[in-house]
Amino acid sequence: MRVLTQQLNRFIDLVGILCAILMVLMLANVFYDVVMRYLFNTVSIAMQELEWHLFAAMFMFGIGYTLKENGHVRVDIFFENLSVRKQAIINIIGTLVFTLPISYLILSSGYGYAQEAFLMNEGSGDPGGLPHRWIIRAVIPASTAFLMLCALQVMLTEFQHFIGAKEETEQ
Amino acid sequence: EKVYRWKLAETWGPNFPIFGDATKNLAKLVKEMSDGRLVIRIDSSNKHKSALGIFDFVKSGQYQMGHSASYYWKGKDPNTMFFTTVPFGMTATEQYAWFYHGGGMELMKDVYDKYGILSFPGGNTGVQMGGWFRKEIKGVDDLKGLKMRIPGFAGEVLAKLGASPTNIPSGELYTALERNTIDALEWVGPSLDLRMGFHKIAPFYYTGWHEPATELQFMVNQKAYESLPEDLQNILTTAMRVAAYDMYIQSTHASAENLKQIREDYPNVKIQDFPDDVIQALHKANSELLKELSDKSPLTAKIIASQQEYGSAVRDWTGFSDQAYLNSFY
Amino acid sequence: MIGIVLFVTALLLLFVGYPIAFTFAGVSLLVGGLTMGLDLFEMMPYRIMSIMENTVMMAVPMFIFMGVVLQKTGLAERLLESMGKLFGGMSGGLAISTVLVGAFLAASTGVVGASVVAMGVISLPVMLKYNYHQPTATGIICASGTLGQIVPPSIILIILGDVMGIPVGDLFKAAVVPGAALILAYILYIIYLTRRNPDFAPPIPVEEDRWKVARSALFNVLPPLALIVAVLGSIFTGLATPTESSALGGVGALILAAIYRCFSLKVIKESALETVKVSSMVFAVLLGATAFSMVFSYSGGDYLVEEYILSLPGEKWTFLALAMLGIFALGFFIDFIEIAFIVVPILAPIAEALGLNMVWFAILIAMNLQASFLTPPFGFSLFYLKGVAPSSVMTKTIYKGAIPFILLQMTILALIILFPDYFIFY
Ligand code: NA
Ligand code: NA
Repeated sequence: MRVLTQQLNRFIDLVGILCAILMVLMLANVFYDVVMRYLFNTVSIAMQELEWHLFAAMFMFGIGYTLKENGHVRVDIFFENLSVRKQAIINIIGTLVFTLPISYLILSSGYGYAQEAFLMNEGSGDPGGLPHRWIIRAVIPASTAFLMLCALQVMLTEFQHFIGAKEETEQ
Repeated sequence: EKVYRWKLAETWGPNFPIFGDATKNLAKLVKEMSDGRLVIRIDSSNKHKSALGIFDFVKSGQYQMGHSASYYWKGKDPNTMFFTTVPFGMTATEQYAWFYHGGGMELMKDVYDKYGILSFPGGNTGVQMGGWFRKEIKGVDDLKGLKMRIPGFAGEVLAKLGASPTNIPSGELYTALERNTIDALEWVGPSLDLRMGFHKIAPFYYTGWHEPATELQFMVNQKAYESLPEDLQNILTTAMRVAAYDMYIQSTHASAENLKQIREDYPNVKIQDFPDDVIQALHKANSELLKELSDKSPLTAKIIASQQEYGSAVRDWTGFSDQAYLNSFY
Repeated sequence: MIGIVLFVTALLLLFVGYPIAFTFAGVSLLVGGLTMGLDLFEMMPYRIMSIMENTVMMAVPMFIFMGVVLQKTGLAERLLESMGKLFGGMSGGLAISTVLVGAFLAASTGVVGASVVAMGVISLPVMLKYNYHQPTATGIICASGTLGQIVPPSIILIILGDVMGIPVGDLFKAAVVPGAALILAYILYIIYLTRRNPDFAPPIPVEEDRWKVARSALFNVLPPLALIVAVLGSIFTGLATPTESSALGGVGALILAAIYRCFSLKVIKESALETVKVSSMVFAVLLGATAFSMVFSYSGGDYLVEEYILSLPGEKWTFLALAMLGIFALGFFIDFIEIAFIVVPILAPIAEALGLNMVWFAILIAMNLQASFLTPPFGFSLFYLKGVAPSSVMTKTIYKGAIPFILLQMTILALIILFPDYFIFY
């Protein structure tokens, strides 16, 4: 199990780095568009659309990475005073009851949503916009699948915490 | 007796005038005519949060009905854009004649059938204005590098003449124009432009060429429609036709009133036509683009041919009727 | 009714401590699924897509990035040190320079946190060493560090602009005077306090040459000042949209890092990764709130609340009082992001129906949310300061120190409510 969580960890970190790259690309993209418009008076709708493509992919995949990094806000008045075991139980049950079901629903409906755009070969309705809308739509199911993977990683880690804490108290 | 409860998703926000009145009118008509057997609840964009998701909503059956405009689906299917309006196309009266007597409804059915959607005319704005410009357009050269908010096919026509069409969310339009982020924009016409306040910041208001008869659209999920008893189906189609007509005359009325107000309160706004050479260049670019589209698919070619053939026939009559009559006033 | 059950259930379950975003999404699924069926959730991808396409919100990660990079340049530390040396010799001088540095940092980033931490690390030990009144010292740091919330650019103003449908540039402009009023109020309070009781904020001996200190202060102030002028100036003059100027700010922060010789691939990587985490946290809450508001509005909850509030006597004043008290009370337990994404969408249509000026209402909410950073037990700024303060500073002291500043915030808020014409310009 340790090996599995380690491998998962590595993969999730890799996606996290990818999100960081998307973040920098988005900044560069918007900056480029501003400069082009003010200094060279040219506008490219494709580049404008690329901005939010990068933005969307960055935060959608980032949600899973942040879950693994324990970066999502909690109301921790009580939580922070609980024992490691109790915290682990809350994280595991929360993942099972809250995170995984809604993720599954978004994954399945998001898949259909992306497939629809693929079958229609939907593109931008504006002159010179980006084609292949299905790619950005596919980010919804793909990032949700990734979120579920991260949730799994969290459960495995918390389970180890739970076992570890149990052994400590027994010693 | 069974009550059918339907939901309609519209592209517009709550309290959006004229366009939003069309859906409220439809719901009221349907309820009254069916004696309460068909009830339609309207969800504006603040509820469903996806102004341009109406097509998908109706296609998937999450909403039985939608109210939007067909040219918004150009990215999904290029053939949908002809059922709203086309640059230098027919006027509203001519276009209604085409829809109901010139084969337009049948062609629209050919396009929408494969999505399981029934599409109906949903109210017309009449001729839309060519837009608000901060600088005068004196010739084709003034279009070069012009940053204009003008979506869709008309934007492509302008781009062919060297303009840069841009995308700005409607909430940011006023600021963008005020602060020269864009040089010009088109919205609708006096009926809806006045409330946006563009007359305060852009002194040139040009007459229209790009949307001579913008027809909105009622969409109905085909399965939902078929599940209705025949009398309710008839009530629904009749109510849609009445709501569309009501919106057209409401637009005309609101435009007349608001134009008067702009003239009285903002005498510095110059309402004028584009110079002839600009119009000619736009005509040419438009024809070329339509030709390119025709070459892409037989159905597209069929629709364009139908509109052009019917358009020139009916225009002959418009010339001898409306135009000749109006000439006697100037 | 379902909407109310949903709201209360979700709120209560938050206290279990599972991440807020997923608690809201999960509870919405359970309640919505049981009462209205799962079909409703077929709409989630459409709503998610409209968030993904939201170019106004794109400013959020870029302003966060700008803040993180500036933090890594050590700007706050340098400013605090030189300002401290410049004004520390006066009685109350260190306190006032903390407020000024807080204001300066506030105008250069959209996030809180970093400034509180920097001040907690730099100013607090100095203040403690020279026997500052402990609650006053911690209160000043928390309040000054929180200024970033109202002084533009500000993440919360971007979120409120989007949620309430107001141009973000207008909100930024409208927040200038209220922000300045708050800064002034803090300074006046410190002056009053030191007059009444000089022991609270004694002068600090400064040995270094004044001119040398002034020169280095200038070097530390001018580059970031240029950045502030570029970012806010481009928004206020309308040269750029807030999203565009956030990109200018992000790139500008990197240039600043180069000037201060701490530009490296590592800094970019770390800053970008930190930005991904913070903005994903924000957008996860937005997605959770989306699931919530979908169930809430489809069960008719919004109509119910609207009808109820509109039926109350007193019209807009009753509504304003309820809204402000409600937000203030919720601010004790949940933070500004949840309030902005979950509560404000319920209030905004009512405010619109009552004909309130929406920019004014948004500024009131933003001012009110400032307090949530200072109200225990869940106050971000208190929490950040507690993390870096020496162990001799007790939590109780930090809580106590925040009280006068919360009162000052409430006073300014009341003034903005009563005399909007003197405060709101856009
Ligand atoms: Na700020
Ligand atoms: Na709080």
